[in-house]
Amino acid sequence: MAAAAARRVSESIAIEASALTRRYSGVDVVREVTFRIPAGRKVALVGSNGAGKTTLLSLLSTLVQPTTGEAWVEGHPLAGRSAALRRSLGVLRHSPMLYEAFTPLENLEFFARLYGVEDSGARIEELLRRLGLWRRRHEPTAVLSRGTHQRLAIARALIHQPTVLLVDEPETGLDPDGIALLDELMLRAPGVTVLAATHRVDRIEAWADGLVRLDRGRVAEDTVSAAAPRPSEVRV
Amino acid sequence: MNAITRAYGLRWVVLPPLVGAGILAMLVGAVVAAPRELVEGDVQRLMYIHVPSAQAMYLAFGVVFVASILVLWKRDMRWDAVARGAASVGVLFTGFALVTGMLWGKPTWGVYWQWDARLTSTLVLFLVYAAYLLARAVSDPSDEQAARYSAVYAIVGFLDVPLIVMSVRWWRTLHPQPIVARLDPQLPDSMLLVLLISTLAIYLLAIWLIALRTDTERLGQRLLGLRAAVDRREEA
Amino acid sequence: MNATLAVLAKDLRLAWRDRAGWLTAGAFAAISVLTYSFAFDLATTDVRPLLPGVLWTTFLFAGVFASGAGFQSEAEEGTFDALLLAPVSPTVVFVGKLLCNFIALVVIEFALLIAATILFDEPLLTPELVAIVMLGTAGYVSLTTLLGTLGSGPRIRAVLLPVMALPLLVPMLIAAVRATGESLGLFGGDAPWMLLLGVFAVWSALVAALLFPMAVER
Repeated sequence: MAAAAARRVSESIAIEASALTRRYSGVDVVREVTFRIPAGRKVALVGSNGAGKTTLLSLLSTLVQPTTGEAWVEGHPLAGRSAALRRSLGVLRHSPMLYEAFTPLENLEFFARLYGVEDSGARIEELLRRLGLWRRRHEPTAVLSRGTHQRLAIARALIHQPTVLLVDEPETGLDPDGIALLDELMLRAPGVTVLAATHRVDRIEAWADGLVRLDRGRVAEDTVSAAAPRPSEVRV
Repeated sequence: MNAITRAYGLRWVVLPPLVGAGILAMLVGAVVAAPRELVEGDVQRLMYIHVPSAQAMYLAFGVVFVASILVLWKRDMRWDAVARGAASVGVLFTGFALVTGMLWGKPTWGVYWQWDARLTSTLVLFLVYAAYLLARAVSDPSDEQAARYSAVYAIVGFLDVPLIVMSVRWWRTLHPQPIVARLDPQLPDSMLLVLLISTLAIYLLAIWLIALRTDTERLGQRLLGLRAAVDRREEA
Repeated sequence: MNATLAVLAKDLRLAWRDRAGWLTAGAFAAISVLTYSFAFDLATTDVRPLLPGVLWTTFLFAGVFASGAGFQSEAEEGTFDALLLAPVSPTVVFVGKLLCNFIALVVIEFALLIAATILFDEPLLTPELVAIVMLGTAGYVSLTTLLGTLGSGPRIRAVLLPVMALPLLVPMLIAAVRATGESLGLFGGDAPWMLLLGVFAVWSALVAALLFPMAVER
């Protein structure tokens, strides 16, 4: 118990999943998934369609409750669903999660307020300029292209300066410039832990330093956990 | 818990003969043994099914309430099957109570329907749980989200019952009602005995039907789960 | 608190920007009053006995009708997930949405009261009636907001929502109609209707706020 507690507060493990299982109508979409991702690592989550990548990301982002098992993000258990846990997470999902009737500026202003971001005006301007959206900040989001949506979604996910990024198919709709920005701001951002589901196997080498492969809900390959400190080593 | 599980396993051995004997005793009692009511005549014999049906209705809706709480709490779809099974049986007995009440009302009150407080609140209850069944029927039986939504509705509905009863009672005190022949609170012993037997028989019947419906719903869920598993295997 | 206000401000702005849903509810309410006028010939006869029922059925239908509208785009655009991801409790999100629905419905209801005052030459904007309308709306808006969020898919929203909401709202409807009747000088009976309205408002707000977080869990 003491060892477990020490392990949970360790700052060197950013994401830890322990026998995480999620069942839908009798089928284990995610099954006994266990891994440990040290802080600052950039991990690609790969696997064929239906392997459970999106469900695993939904579990880790607290949107979906595990059937059994538990996971910790920066030491916060998912079951607690604490504000601190959610504040540390930046989530980019398949849907851009933006208000189409709002302008990019209004979207970011709302999420900045919801997350209690300090000095939000400067943060929003910085992100919009960085992502090449500043000129279009007053246009309705609905008229923007898929790629521009995705850029704005990246800004939304980063608005509160999260330290752990859970990312699902981030390249969707992005042009080469957008992909370069994605790498710079998210996938290769210094000091940030990344778990990104992707089909773009050709691009993994460009940003990832670790890989977790899922097959029918199970972990089939894992190059990060072995290198992670053992629970006993990080006991404090 | 183990004893309960074992007792539940015996439901198909124990319940059918008990229910059969009970219903037989009820029929003999109500039709033959009980004395003929002097003022109302033979139609009063409907009481022996009317009153127990109303009791069984509350039993079934109570089961829906408890099972719905467990759906939200335990996240186990088996409780959804129990809730749905009990709701359909509850709606059935509510219908029984309403129809027998109306059949008794025509010769006694001169009309089938009285906007009497008890009749009206029973009708509202009927509508609440019919809406619950409808909501659950349009969604996939193995859809957990739909199960949670329906559980919330069932809980709100059950907690609404005191308010419904109270408001309808106050509403009806406005219009003075014709003084109707009410059941004498002091029933003759023979009538009381038959009523007790009938109540017991109908309770057993309700429990048996709830168990049957629950098992049916459960089989439906498992079938869908199996189909999903087969689809998954074929895809792989 | 700040997050509740953020959600409220966002929802009000969205409601304003995407007026179609609320305008339809308002138009629906206006049309039903008109329809009642023709059906019961409210123009010539003494309208007072019918007015409470006409007003409250109209309010309720408009409320149930509109309750899903605000949530529809939230579900379709996936933004509801973004709200659930935020470091605030779902109850906070619920209260924000509830307040938005309350404000929008009260606006519609007041427009209707003004219209009915003119059409039926019956002074309806009395302080007493205003209090009844606010309290009654507070009573039904919690449940319609909750059920509007639950209605998954357009089929449930369009068809089932009224079927599910209206039986639950019977106590509030009875109390509101009687209290309105009393304030118009009709015999309302001696039951404490305002108390029942108040109890229903508190009860529904508590139940809805308590169950909403559990309902949206996945």
